[in-house]
Amino acid sequence: MFRQKAFMFGYSQSRLFLAKELGYKLMGFSIIVNDEKSYQKAILDGYSSVRLLDVTDDRALEELPVKDNDYLICVMDDHYLNVFLTLSLHELFPKAIVVALSDSPHTTQKLKMAGASRIIDLYQVSANRIHNILHKPVATKLVERLLSSDEDFSFKEMEIPKGSSLDGVMVDDFDFTLHGVILVGMIDKRLSNQFIFITSGLENRFDVGDTIVCIGYNADLEKFEDYIKL
Amino acid sequence: MFKKIIIKFAFFLNGSKSYKQIKEIASNFLQNQDYHYKKYFDIFMISLIVVSITILVYEVKHEVPKWVDFFDIYIVTFIFTMEYLARLWVYNDWHLLVVKEYGESQFLNRKFSLWKPTKIALHGKIEYLFSPTAVIDLLAILPAYRPLRVLRIFVLFRVFKLLRYTKSINQFLSVLSSKKFELFTLLFLLLFITITAGIAIYVFEQNQNDKIESLFDALYWALITISTVGYGDISPVTPEGRVVSMLIIVTGIAMISFVTSVIVSAFSEKLTELKENRIIEDINKNEEFMIICGYGQMSHMFLKHYASEYNRRYIVIEKDKEKVEEAIKEGYRAINEDASKHNVISKFNTDYAKITLLALTGSDIANIYITLNAKAISRKIRVITRASSDNIAKKCRLAGADSVVMPTLIANRMLFAAITQPVMYKAIYAILTGQHLAQLDEINLTYHQKLVGKKLDELNFKKYKLLCIGLQISASGEFIFNPPMRLHLQEEDILLIMGRKVSIEHFKMLHKEIKYV
Repeated sequence: MFRQKAFMFGYSQSRLFLAKELGYKLMGFSIIVNDEKSYQKAILDGYSSVRLLDVTDDRALEELPVKDNDYLICVMDDHYLNVFLTLSLHELFPKAIVVALSDSPHTTQKLKMAGASRIIDLYQVSANRIHNILHKPVATKLVERLLSSDEDFSFKEMEIPKGSSLDGVMVDDFDFTLHGVILVGMIDKRLSNQFIFITSGLENRFDVGDTIVCIGYNADLEKFEDYIKL
Repeated sequence: MFKKIIIKFAFFLNGSKSYKQIKEIASNFLQNQDYHYKKYFDIFMISLIVVSITILVYEVKHEVPKWVDFFDIYIVTFIFTMEYLARLWVYNDWHLLVVKEYGESQFLNRKFSLWKPTKIALHGKIEYLFSPTAVIDLLAILPAYRPLRVLRIFVLFRVFKLLRYTKSINQFLSVLSSKKFELFTLLFLLLFITITAGIAIYVFEQNQNDKIESLFDALYWALITISTVGYGDISPVTPEGRVVSMLIIVTGIAMISFVTSVIVSAFSEKLTELKENRIIEDINKNEEFMIICGYGQMSHMFLKHYASEYNRRYIVIEKDKEKVEEAIKEGYRAINEDASKHNVISKFNTDYAKITLLALTGSDIANIYITLNAKAISRKIRVITRASSDNIAKKCRLAGADSVVMPTLIANRMLFAAITQPVMYKAIYAILTGQHLAQLDEINLTYHQKLVGKKLDELNFKKYKLLCIGLQISASGEFIFNPPMRLHLQEEDILLIMGRKVSIEHFKMLHKEIKYV
C-alpha cells in the first residue's frame, strides 16, 4: 500500500482498469467526475470516494483535500478540458504531482506548459510498441511482463536503509546477479535527485537514503530487499 | 490406347514438380509484373529491339558486316521466336484440362472425351494467337524470311513489341481507351467533314485548279487543311473553294481543341489512379515492406518516428481523401483507397514479398475487417492490429492478427507505474519510448556470428557499459532472465541487452558477421 493519495479526474470506459488498480494499491483514492452518468457508474462499480463537481470551477476544486506530493491524474476524455484542468490544478496545488494523458505531441507540449509533471503520450508509446513488436520481439515480451500486474516478474525500487550491507559499497563491486536480480539504475542522493541508469558509465557508491531500481522475479526481489536491510 | 498414353502423360505433367517449376519461372518472366527479375528480362528484350532497329536504319545507306546480319536474322529472330512460343505455352494448361475431364468422367461414370479438353485448350491458344500483342510478336519474327525483301519493313513491328515492355505507353493507351467513345465520335466527325469538304472542293475546282486532278487530291487537301498542317502544295483558286477552306480551317481548330481537351480530361481523371498504381508498383519491387491502414494519430506518430528507418518501404492506405493529402504533405507515401477491399490488398505482391500490415484505423470494426481481408488474401501477411479493449483484442486474434496493440492499456499501465513506482517510471518510460539513454535491444546471433560459441563472461558487458538482461535459447525457445555467465552462446540465440543507444550500436558493430546460407 502507498501512503500518498491520488485523485483521478475522469472515469471513462477506457480508465476502468486504471481506477481498479489504483484503488487497490493506494490508501486514498478518489474519483472526480463532471457528469452525472460517470458519477453513477463509479458508484455502481463500488468506489466509495466519488465526487461530482464542475472541474472548470476553481472554487469547487479548491475544496478538494489535496496535500503536497499527492497525485492528480488528469484523464478526461475531452483533451481541451484535460489541458484546462491541468493548468487549474497546477495553479491551485503547486506542490502536488500532476500526471496527465496526451493524445498528440502538440497536446503534450501544452500539458507541459500547463504544469503537468508527468505526461503519457498515448500514441507515442503505442507507435514505439509497434516498432518494438517488429524489431525487438523478445524485448517487447519482457517489457510486457514487467508492466503486467499479473506476472511474477517486475521492477522494484528500494531505499537503502541505515545499517544496510550496501552502505558505502561501490556499484561495480557488488554482484547483483548472485541474488537473481539486475540493477537498472539508482538515485544517488549525494549527486542529485535524478535517476541514473547503471549503463551511463558513472562510478557511483551506495549510501543510506539512495534509491535503487532492480528487475527480477518478485520472490527474488523480496529476498533482496530483506537482504539489503541486514 | 492413344487416349491412355495421353492421360498418363497429362498426369505425369500434373505430378511433375520440375515441369511446374519451369512453367512458373517462364510465366513469371513473361507475365508477372511483380516478379523481381522480370525487369532484367524486359531490359534484355528492349535492348534486342533497339539493336535490331538500329541495324535496319544503318543498313539503308551502309553495308553491314556479315556477323551483324547473322546476329539480326538468326539470333534476334531465334530469341523472339522462343519468346513467342513460350508465351503461347504459358497462356493455358492443356494437361490440367485433361486431368480435370478425366476426373469428372471417372466420378460420373461417363466416357472420357479427349476432344473436349483439347478443344478448350486450342480455343485458348487461338484466342491468344489472334490477340494484338501476339500478332505484333509474329510480325516481328517475319523479317527473318529473307527471300521476301518486303518483309524487312516488318522490322518496324519490333518497335511495337516495345509496348509489352514499357509501362508508360501502355498506360497512355489505357487512358485513351477510357475515352474511346468521345475519340471515335470525333474521328467519325473528322472523316465526315474531310469527305464532305473534299467532295465540295473537287466539285468546285476540278476544272479550274490544275493541282486537283482527282478526288484523292481533293481529299488529301481537305485532310491537310483540317489538321491545320497546310503544306500549301494545293490551294483553292475559286471563291467557293476558299469559302470551303475557311469553313474547314475553323472546324479543324475547333476539333483539335476538342480532341486535346478530351485527352487532357482523360489524363486528369486518371492521374491519381496512375500515380497510385505507380506507388504500388514501386513498393512491390521490395522484398519486404509495410502497409499502414488508416492515417490517424497513431499512424502519424509511427511514421514521424520510424518512416526514415523504413526508407520508403511502406505505404499508407486511407479512405479519407483529406487525410491522404495531409499525409502526402507530410512527405509520406499514401494512396486514397479502402484497405478492407480485397482488390486493394491483392494489388500487393503477397506471393513473393514479406509484408507487414498495420491495421491502425480509429474503428475496431474496420480494423478487424482489414485483418480478415489481409489474412484471406495471404496467411503470410503479418498483421498488427489496433484494439480499444480486451474484448476487441480477442476478436482481433480470432481474425488472425499476429499481434494486437491496445493504446489505452499501454497508457493505463504507464499511468499506474508513474504513480505507484515513480522512480522506476523514468526507466520504463525511457525503455518504452526508445530514448537514447536507455534502450532494451536484441542481438540476434544469426547476424552476429562472432559471438557464437563464446561464454557470456568472455563478452565483458561492463566494459561496453551494457547490461545482459536475458537470453532466448533458439533450440528450446526458452527465455532465461539474468542468464548465468558460464553459458555458451549458440547459433540463432537472441541476447537481450540494455544500455545507451551508442553502446549497443558499438557492441553490435564489433560482433557483426552475417551467416550466409
